[in-house]
Amino acid sequence: MDLVTVKGLSKRYGGIVALSDATFSARAGEVHALLGENGAGKSTFIQILSGAVQHDGGSILVDGQDYRPANPDAAQARGIAAVFQELSLIPDLSVEQNVWFRHEPRTLLRTVDRAEMRRKTLALLEKYNFPALRPDQELRRLTLAERQIVEIAKGLAKDPRILILDEATSALPAREADWLLKLTRQLAAEGRLVIFISHRMAEVRAIADRLTIFRNGATVAAHEANAVSDNEIVTQMIGRHLDRLYPERMATATDRVALNVRGLSSGSRLSGVDFTLREGEVLGVGGLQGHGQRELFQALFGASRASGAIELWDKPVSINNPRQALTGRDGIALVPEDRRGQGLLLTKSVRENLTLSVIRRFTENGLLSRQKEAALVKEMVDFLRIKAGTPEQLAGTLSGGNQQKVIFGKMLLTQARVLLLYDPTRGVDVGTKGEIFQLMRDLAAKGYAILFHSSDMPELVHVADRVMVMRDGRVAATLEGERISEAGILRAAMLEREAA
Amino acid sequence: MNAFLTRNRLIVLAYAGMVVLLLVTALFSPGFLSVSNMRSTVVLAAFVGIVALGQTFVIIGGGIDLSVPWVLNSAAIIMALLCGGQDLPLVWVMPLLLAGGAFIGLINGVGVARFGVPPIIMTLATNVILQGLILVLTGGSPTPSAPALIQFLSVGRIAGFPVIALIWLALTLVATVLLSKAAFGRHLYALGTSATVAEFSGVPTARTTILTYVISGLTAAFAGMLLTGYSGQAYLGMGDAYLFTSIAAVAIGGASILGGSGHYLGTVAGAMVLTILTGLLPALNLSSGALLVVYGAVILLTVSIGSEAFAGLGGRLRRG
Repeated sequence: MDLVTVKGLSKRYGGIVALSDATFSARAGEVHALLGENGAGKSTFIQILSGAVQHDGGSILVDGQDYRPANPDAAQARGIAAVFQELSLIPDLSVEQNVWFRHEPRTLLRTVDRAEMRRKTLALLEKYNFPALRPDQELRRLTLAERQIVEIAKGLAKDPRILILDEATSALPAREADWLLKLTRQLAAEGRLVIFISHRMAEVRAIADRLTIFRNGATVAAHEANAVSDNEIVTQMIGRHLDRLYPERMATATDRVALNVRGLSSGSRLSGVDFTLREGEVLGVGGLQGHGQRELFQALFGASRASGAIELWDKPVSINNPRQALTGRDGIALVPEDRRGQGLLLTKSVRENLTLSVIRRFTENGLLSRQKEAALVKEMVDFLRIKAGTPEQLAGTLSGGNQQKVIFGKMLLTQARVLLLYDPTRGVDVGTKGEIFQLMRDLAAKGYAILFHSSDMPELVHVADRVMVMRDGRVAATLEGERISEAGILRAAMLEREAA
Repeated sequence: MNAFLTRNRLIVLAYAGMVVLLLVTALFSPGFLSVSNMRSTVVLAAFVGIVALGQTFVIIGGGIDLSVPWVLNSAAIIMALLCGGQDLPLVWVMPLLLAGGAFIGLINGVGVARFGVPPIIMTLATNVILQGLILVLTGGSPTPSAPALIQFLSVGRIAGFPVIALIWLALTLVATVLLSKAAFGRHLYALGTSATVAEFSGVPTARTTILTYVISGLTAAFAGMLLTGYSGQAYLGMGDAYLFTSIAAVAIGGASILGGSGHYLGTVAGAMVLTILTGLLPALNLSSGALLVVYGAVILLTVSIGSEAFAGLGGRLRRG
């Protein structure tokens, strides 16, 4: 019998229909993948399952009994726990305090039983073979990836019958992502149901028994995983046939150097980076997470203090803040890592976001020209095919892919021809991913120079002209042509440290 | 038009509230809508409105200026002392004190933007320091009366219109241009919405922050001089009421106290609402203590209505 059965589930937020007709069924002991573009309704669906929001219509049965949790506690009482992308951890508490938060083991006097908590934490970490985590580490000292792992531990601590993982691998480096995939199988073998959301097809392929595909707030199909091809899945997700994800690589690089970097250092994470980026080139930046990629991008954009020499189009420049980076055609623009925290004013309109960096371009005698602004906005909305009702729609109400397009538009309007793209496809649906890759190639063909970091290694392999692999804050190797492969990148990222 | 109403719903609400309040007041005290009474209401509201102009900019930018009471009071007392009841010294005293107000704003702004001092601490500190300096300066003795010219600016009339109302109108135009038609306004809203996003978008965040405090120092000092004209002389504590009213006017006017939204046009309605309330309460035979209670309740009410509107917005923002 099915553990969960969902029929005709719907949810509206004001005038926006987030979910219109979701149908779903899953058994105990399986890994069940949810697939769909951003805005397809997956997030709303799992928010309802986990008790974070309540549905308007339709029914959910768990164990054949009606299920309508008023809050996450009520969901947990029925054995359902969720691990979301947005972390719910408290930075001032230790790993174990976070894991058992509000469910701490108690002594007879109702005080927290620290010894018992330590014992249970170690048992949990060992049982599921967690990557190195110390129970007493303060959370604020952990990297994003480590926090994500703590979040998973917190979900498992509730011993759920149904565990929901919302893009849990997107913040994890390759090795930890592998561990998580194995973990899902282990949990299924224990008779639990794992509901798994990922935008990475390979992961879904590796672990899912069955999968359910969402589009536009409704379920479009459910399959046994081994009875359906990648192409069919993608076609059902986007509702049309996608020729291919990665555009054809064309040699558009010229001999002209757009960005020349020598001895760039910043803090303890970036120690002496040298490289050149040419006009028309897409230069990938790879390596294991936390080896200076983030610091490199921030230093180049002036978002953190750095030393070293930077030349843009053969002219030495000093970039102390983003304002100095964004100086028109000879400038350098960044599509940042954190779309919502660094890239977008969520409560402002698409228009205000798009033109924020180029107010000078539509100012006449000190006054803004709304007409000129509208022309710039229209140019970008059309060029990038941003799907917004009107330019006045709030950026925060757009889907993830369209939010990312707005940030691209904002940076393209600055006319800077050196672009820094930090993980631009993270959390973006597959259709928009394809558009972003095509856009990168088109821009390169127009003479833009692009520095491109991705946490998804196949993207580097298929999109970049060259791949610069970072290790310990330096460039460990630069791969070209045939040498660009996932194995090649991993070897360069890891070899020396394993030999040491 | 519809889009205008949705975007500026809270500002429209503030004006609606003002009209309702006017009608209610007229019900209790029939003479309230008379020309002479409306005139004096607008004059009183103008002082609140002028102090709240700077406060509006600071709050939209995500800060708060608690130094307005003693910037205002300092300007008032120093002006009275330097002029000694004469008009002529105003030629240099007014520019000097405006510059002084701007300078205090500069200190506040630099402390907040460059040294990362929380706005509450920074401006509270300058407020207390100014208070101390003025007490030292005057020794608590009364000051000479206000120059006649200043009295004209605050209680005089041109063609039947109070001069100060005309000044207020002019300042409203300037503020509206700055907020709606200048790059500074765009930078300011972005800064108040998210300082990080603004910084990553190339907005000159430090300069913008500093400028808001400078404007606030300017308007507080200016209001202090005008208020001296209104009361005939400067006295210790004359600015105290303006701390609360300047912030309240901004909040009632529909700005988020957390920054990123609002407009001076809303603050104008907020200043009017607060002033009409002070006129309504005597008509109801309420004491000044009761006035404060009602004041506080109105702020709570309006700000919670505002937060409600924002909560609704937050719910519509999608995840992912």
